[in-house]
Amino acid sequence: MKNRISELRAERAWTQADVAQLIGVSRQTVNAIETGKFDPSLPVAFRLARVFSLAIEDVFSDGE
Amino acid sequence: MQPQEAEHGRNSRKFNAAFAIWTLVWTLTLALARFGPELLWNSQPVLSGIAVAVNLAAGVGWIVATIRLLRGLDDLERKIMLDALGMTLGVGWVMGFGYVVADGAGLIPWDISLGALPALMGVVYIASFLIGKIRYR
Repeated sequence: MKNRISELRAERAWTQADVAQLIGVSRQTVNAIETGKFDPSLPVAFRLARVFSLAIEDVFSDGE
Repeated sequence: MQPQEAEHGRNSRKFNAAFAIWTLVWTLTLALARFGPELLWNSQPVLSGIAVAVNLAAGVGWIVATIRLLRGLDDLERKIMLDALGMTLGVGWVMGFGYVVADGAGLIPWDISLGALPALMGVVYIASFLIGKIRYR
C-alpha cells in the first residue's frame, strides 16, 4: 500500500517522531509505514489521516 | 488532537520496567530454587518446597507482566513480538518432540538436561526479536 506520509510531513516540517507522538505509536512504526514495509491497522490509518486533517484515501492508496 | 504518544511512551516504559523487574525476580528465585538445596539448606524438603513455590508465584507475576507488555504494544511492535513468539514456539515444539522420538529410537547417545529446551527457546526468541527489529528498522 502506498502513502503520502513523507510528503505530508515535509509540508508541515514534522519529523517521524512528531507524527509518532501525535498518533501514539513508536517512531519505528511510523518509519515502517512510511517506507511501505508495514501496513497500518485501520485505527492507526485513521489516526494518521486525522492528524494531517485529510481523508484516509488522501493519505493512503492501494497502488492499483 | 491530543498527543497520544505521551500515553504510549509512558505505558511502554511502565510495562517494560515491570516486565524487566518480574523477569529478574523470576530468574533470581529460579536460581534460589535450583542451587538453594545444594548450597544453602542441605536439601531440606520444606525449604526446597517453599523456594519452588516462591519461584512459581514469581512466574505468575512474570506471565501477567508479559501479557500487559503485549497489550501495550503498537501494531508493528506486536507483529515483531508475535513473529518471534511463533518462531520460538515452533522451534521449541519441533526440537522438543524431535528429541523425544530420537531418544526413544536410541539415536541420542548422550543425555540432555531438561533445561536445554527452555534455554534454546530463549536464544531463538532473542534472535527472532532482533531480526524483526532490524527488518523493520
